Amino acid sequence: MRRPRLSVRARLALWHAGVLILIVCLFSAGIFVFVRGSLFAGVDRQLARALETVDWVYHHEPEDIQNLPTESGIRLFRVVADGKLFHQTESWERAGLAQGLPGSAAPESWKSPDGRWYRVQVVTTPAYAIAAAVEEGARRDALWTLIEILAAGVPLAAVLAIAGGYFLAGRALAPVGAMADKAREITADRLGERLPVANPQDEFGRLATVFNDTLSRLCDSFERLRRFTADASHELRTPLTAICSVGEVALQRELDAGAYREVIGSMLEEVRRLTHVVDSLLVLTRADSGAARAEREVVELSSFAGSVADNLRVLAEEKRQTLEVEPGARVEAACDPAILRLGLMNLLDNAIKFTPPGGAILVRARANGSGESHIEVQDTGPGIAPAHRERVFERFYRGDAGCNGNSPGAGLGLAIARWAVAANGGRIELESEESRGSLFRIVLPAR
Amino acid sequence: MRILVVEDERKVARALQEGLEGEGYAVAVAADGEEGFRLARREAVDLVLLDLALPKRDGIDLLAALRRQDKLLPVLILTARDAVEDRVLGLDSGADDYLVKPFTFPELLARIRALLRRGHPDPVLELKHEDLHLDLATRKVARGDHSMELTGKEFEILECLLRHRGRTVSRDMLASHVWHVTARATPLDNVIDVTMVRLRRKIDDPFEKKLLHTVRGLGFVLGERRP
Repeated sequence: MRRPRLSVRARLALWHAGVLILIVCLFSAGIFVFVRGSLFAGVDRQLARALETVDWVYHHEPEDIQNLPTESGIRLFRVVADGKLFHQTESWERAGLAQGLPGSAAPESWKSPDGRWYRVQVVTTPAYAIAAAVEEGARRDALWTLIEILAAGVPLAAVLAIAGGYFLAGRALAPVGAMADKAREITADRLGERLPVANPQDEFGRLATVFNDTLSRLCDSFERLRRFTADASHELRTPLTAICSVGEVALQRELDAGAYREVIGSMLEEVRRLTHVVDSLLVLTRADSGAARAEREVVELSSFAGSVADNLRVLAEEKRQTLEVEPGARVEAACDPAILRLGLMNLLDNAIKFTPPGGAILVRARANGSGESHIEVQDTGPGIAPAHRERVFERFYRGDAGCNGNSPGAGLGLAIARWAVAANGGRIELESEESRGSLFRIVLPAR
Repeated sequence: MRILVVEDERKVARALQEGLEGEGYAVAVAADGEEGFRLARREAVDLVLLDLALPKRDGIDLLAALRRQDKLLPVLILTARDAVEDRVLGLDSGADDYLVKPFTFPELLARIRALLRRGHPDPVLELKHEDLHLDLATRKVARGDHSMELTGKEFEILECLLRHRGRTVSRDMLASHVWHVTARATPLDNVIDVTMVRLRRKIDDPFEKKLLHTVRGLGFVLGERRP
């Protein structure tokens, strides 16, 4: 089990304070080590000078040695020659340095019985030994003061860092709170609203922009869903209404057997229409849920396109259209022939439907040389205005044809075609020139 | 011939029963899987029409139990589930055929006849009705002395109609028998209608007596419809 997490603001403030305290501690420790080092170095230099001076005086002017404290200010030293005390200053004796003197040749700190600190060094030769000392008290006091200042400073810095960090984090995170408040107001019915973007370049601006883009896409898909539901219920309701009214009218009066037969036949025709819409919707729903899997194999597209065109040729002939399949070299693609057949059938049916009588439809397969294979369906229909080009593949979308209500079909053919091609890892491209015709190109991976 | 209908939807079960009895079959109806299994064991049944989504005992389960009892009893699945996996599951479990709801009654009858006929293939080389002759070996078609040229699909449609002469042939049957397309979201209905118009132009228009008739809402029939 995890602890309940702190708020981002508190965590930011704590991190900030932690890092700052760490820096202050390291900095304080650095200062302490440096100051302490330089203080002791000064003492040791002073001590070395004292020893040199005493040594020089002892060798050259031994009788002057008792004047040294007054003349040169060297007040703490002792000289022992041949095992006997040659000279020791008054201060040396008073300080009690005579007892328990450390015998080291390097400078050493020593605490006298009365609690004072001295820095002591002894120079020993076979003939004599000179010891000198310097009082350390003032320097130690200075060091203690420094420690006290630093020790008081670190907690103070910590408190300031937490408070400052909390305040700064709050200010920095304020836009997040504002965004959250705004986002809470945006519900399914108010998807048109957007988050405020103060500066699109900074982090929060980018976040808000990304969020707004997501909202736009969500808004679009909601809109599509709404339109789809409206269209689907319209397409389903139309045959249902026909079935209802035909049946009700027939029941209003007595009819002979032949007339009843007509009525039932007419109702069954509508049922068939209904079934077709439901089946098409089912294909698309299954495509949406990813349940339809393509079993790919290598298909030769020229003959494949030829066989599909042969299936639909009678429709073109009925409209005195020419439906030609351009003979070409072998073109191969890896796809599921059953699914692709569904797609190409719907594309061709669409071309035949929208090309006026006497027009021409040309089908050709070719490889584009860069690992893709094409099947093109070119017609001499009315073409598709740029505004409709993207949307013709949407479900139930019928462009201008849908408005004047004389187009056959439910407007699902191209949606199914697009799915069928996409399920095979391909795409459909559309080139169109108004009043010149359209070219639908199925692009499939060759392997 | 006795047919067991295992179907929980009362309206569908009754329509099936009446339709099949009208065709001269004896029909028993079971409303759930348990009853279906009991009836299939107790009564001599020649064929089972089986819905898959059943109360008490699932259709696939029932099918497996039936198969353990009788390896040869023909079973035709009727279901609204039409994903390929469902079909495969149904056929793998031992069903002989699979029909997706909603289906047309003529198609159901045709499949039942095919299943009951199984094991007795008819080596037919020539089909005829009145003065219409269709030679399956040479693929020649004639009415009386007038021979006529039919396209491949027209020939196959005519063959299908002749094989089921006097009975209605639905568009779904033609789509799967002639075009070998079982997917339904295709624009094939129009193709079938247009091809039928052309076929009629060739075999009926020049002659006094019309053989091909449209049964509105159902499909087509060659010759007089049997009552």
